[in-house]
Amino acid sequence: MLQSGNATNATNATAAGGEVTTLTETIAGLLGLSGPAGDFVGGVIGGALIITFLLTLVAVSGIWGKRKITAAFTDRVAVNRIGPFGLLIIVADAVRLLSKELIVPEGVDRPAWDIAPIIMVFSAVAGFAVIPMGNGIHLADPEAGLVYVFATASIASVGLVMAGYSSNNKYALLGGLRAVAQNLAYEIPLILTAASVVIFAGSLRMSEIVAAQAAPLISLGPVTIPAWYAFVNPFAFILFMAANLAEVGRNPFDIPEAPTEIVAGWQTEYSSVYFVLGYLAEFLHIFLGGAIIATIFLGGPAGPVLPGFLWFVAKMLAVFLFTQWMRSAIPRVRIDQLIEIGWKGMLVLSFANLILTAVIVGVIA
Amino acid sequence: MSLEEPTPPETEVGVTEAGGVDYDALAELLGEHVIDREEHVNAEAFVVRPDEVQDALFALRDEAGFDHCSCVTAQEYGDRYETIYHLTKYDDRTQEVGVVVPTSKEDPVSQTAEPVYRTADWHEREAYDLVGIEYEGHPDLRRILLPETWQGHPLRSDYNQEKPQVVTLREHANPLQEDHRAGEDSDTMFLNIGPHHPATHGVLHLKTTLDGEQVADVESDIGYLHRCEEQMCQQGTYRHQIMPYPDRWDYISAGILNEWAYARAAEDLADLEVPEYAQVIRTMSAELCRIASHMLAVATFALDIYGDFTALFMYGVRDREVVQNLLEDLTGQRLMFNYLRLGGVAWDLPEPREEFFEKTRDFLDELPERLEEYHDMITSNEILQMRTVNTGVLEPEVAKSYGATGPVARGSGIDYDVRRDDPYGYYDQLDWDVITEDGCDNYSRVLVRLQEVEESAKIIEQCIDLLEDWPEEEREIQSNVPRTLKPENDTEVYRSVEGAKGELGIYMRADGTDKPARFKIRSPCFSNLQTLPEMSEGEYVPDLIAALGSLDIVLGEVDR
Repeated sequence: MLQSGNATNATNATAAGGEVTTLTETIAGLLGLSGPAGDFVGGVIGGALIITFLLTLVAVSGIWGKRKITAAFTDRVAVNRIGPFGLLIIVADAVRLLSKELIVPEGVDRPAWDIAPIIMVFSAVAGFAVIPMGNGIHLADPEAGLVYVFATASIASVGLVMAGYSSNNKYALLGGLRAVAQNLAYEIPLILTAASVVIFAGSLRMSEIVAAQAAPLISLGPVTIPAWYAFVNPFAFILFMAANLAEVGRNPFDIPEAPTEIVAGWQTEYSSVYFVLGYLAEFLHIFLGGAIIATIFLGGPAGPVLPGFLWFVAKMLAVFLFTQWMRSAIPRVRIDQLIEIGWKGMLVLSFANLILTAVIVGVIA
Repeated sequence: MSLEEPTPPETEVGVTEAGGVDYDALAELLGEHVIDREEHVNAEAFVVRPDEVQDALFALRDEAGFDHCSCVTAQEYGDRYETIYHLTKYDDRTQEVGVVVPTSKEDPVSQTAEPVYRTADWHEREAYDLVGIEYEGHPDLRRILLPETWQGHPLRSDYNQEKPQVVTLREHANPLQEDHRAGEDSDTMFLNIGPHHPATHGVLHLKTTLDGEQVADVESDIGYLHRCEEQMCQQGTYRHQIMPYPDRWDYISAGILNEWAYARAAEDLADLEVPEYAQVIRTMSAELCRIASHMLAVATFALDIYGDFTALFMYGVRDREVVQNLLEDLTGQRLMFNYLRLGGVAWDLPEPREEFFEKTRDFLDELPERLEEYHDMITSNEILQMRTVNTGVLEPEVAKSYGATGPVARGSGIDYDVRRDDPYGYYDQLDWDVITEDGCDNYSRVLVRLQEVEESAKIIEQCIDLLEDWPEEEREIQSNVPRTLKPENDTEVYRSVEGAKGELGIYMRADGTDKPARFKIRSPCFSNLQTLPEMSEGEYVPDLIAALGSLDIVLGEVDR
């Protein structure tokens, strides 16, 4: 059943109950289905709901929010002509982007060129399946949830290489190669840092990681600070935030696109709907990064007063805001510097963090 | 002026005790190379045989210290073609000498000066392109401004200007074809950066050979914005018709600086006086232009490094907007000012004067705070330092050989500023400093620009003080200039001013009519851009872009 109580109740319930009711099961239950058929129908409907929500979020934040945020950072006004606060620009832009001519350059390697943007979107969307968003919105809760998220998110690299290579454009090729070099250099620190959280939580299951963070860390009078891993291990949190910037390709690590150097990187030859897909994938990846950070470091949907789902979205958007802030304020590093930071800096730091965490947890436990 | 006088080394030949040029001593130094002597308004010139150019120039460079080949002008006379090398010294801009190389009409071949001054490379290519003089021994004598397939040389008298020429650039007809420019089995990749590219600051085409991500070779292909400015000026009358054109060279709000280049040259050519009051207004408005120009230079450089429309770009544009409003109040225009006139300026300060002074003072008062913000975000930003320090290195000797001037030269530690070294306007009576940085890298060039904004602000402040107290009956904005100017036949002048990007020079030859017979523009960007391969070879692509940004070129001025 959908839990109607507030977030604290929800997390308490999961902490106490151990097993969570996933959205799939809830929908199947409402429809009176059970077994594989129930799983299938529930999964499809639940997935459709979540994807619709995500697309709405991207539309609002990617078309309107991003401009407003960047404008605020850069002393401008941005969209304010169509509709209240310029919100109808979302409709106008959607129509504009979708009605543009799809230009297929000569010599592109099809179907790789067509599949690439779809793969990128898929890899981002698939990750959300195991993210507990609060209020029972949680599509699946496999035992290896965290591994699954990172696995699907990494598939995007395949899409980047495909796009870069099949575009038959030198800028795209450079962008694709840069993207792979960057993802290789930053995915390892990213996963190692996440592994330190797993050591704390003792599980890869997303719901259990969230539940473990509900315990109080310190009580200061009436205020209880929960044991969110961002508070427990701030070092890992900062490391993860930095690696995540590289993972989603935002300043100072927006090297795969680097508009002033290689025009648009792997996106150079994409137009119309394919461009929209690529753009969508980028924002979905930022949100997926936000969702992972919210889940493993910021206590998932936990938070006072408001429903857990709203807290979760707020945390995700906070990470999004952070990426936009970096984008406006921080210069891009050079490709060789990026690789150096990744392999010589972040990797060492994340290993140190992992080993220290393991030792501390081992001694305490 | 609180600036120290540059003192030339004592061993140099051809310097009089007073610090002027001893042309007789130079003639002696050149000996038999000199076949004749000419008198130009700015300096004397030696006529040299076309096959002895290098000997003469080497002697002048190595023994007399003329290390700056400011400009190379080619032109046609009734009976001959002529190349003029305008030489001067980085240590003392007032010491000038011309080297005139006549060639016959039938066989216009002259020895190249490229081994002496690297900057002659592009200048001679331009001379070949537009006038058709061939330079023997030149490493790469191709057209530079016009397309490879162009027929004829447009500044020749026998050139048919009426005949249209359709040019198709076949070279890149199929951009996807295999390219083995660097050799069949090499691992390098050829990449066209531009002419349409987000970071080329206009229509510049860089033919880049990449080894991985490193730049193995880069060649600038310019001329996409060539608008025949020189020829258009040759078709306009001195008095009024030429002045609008300079605004269109360096159009990044440096208009008045450009206008001053023409004004200075023409006023020297026609021997016109400029009232002191007008000189102060000129100085003030020119420095306003410099601030606007440097603001945009810093903003776009940040854009190149940051990589998107970032805070810094908008801050730069925001602050430049204030200057633009001031210039609009003063000139009635925001882009193409057309404010200077021969013998003065177009009109006096806008009424009420107090309001203009107040606005300007407000701007100057806020400026230090604004600059602090820039320093916070640019110069003290560690990532930006990581990107710019020790990248795009331009050694001073290399810079001199390429004739680099302006912030590019001063960022390489070359203490050279035409405003101080060859004073004009009101600069020599004001208190300000020439900024130099010794880093020779991208970072130094940005530092120089930011500090120059402060110096310009100082100059403007002093000008405002002067203008405020100027007695009302002495506010003479223009001297009495004849309606039609006809400078004497065969007078020649080469004069330069410190534009926003460097030394902006104008060569003019009068033929007794009311239009110049030859009008040559020495664009600072043209010379500065030549240094790009020196700065970027062996560096990564991002540093090539950063180096290009730090040069602050405007293609309108490069191509003219």
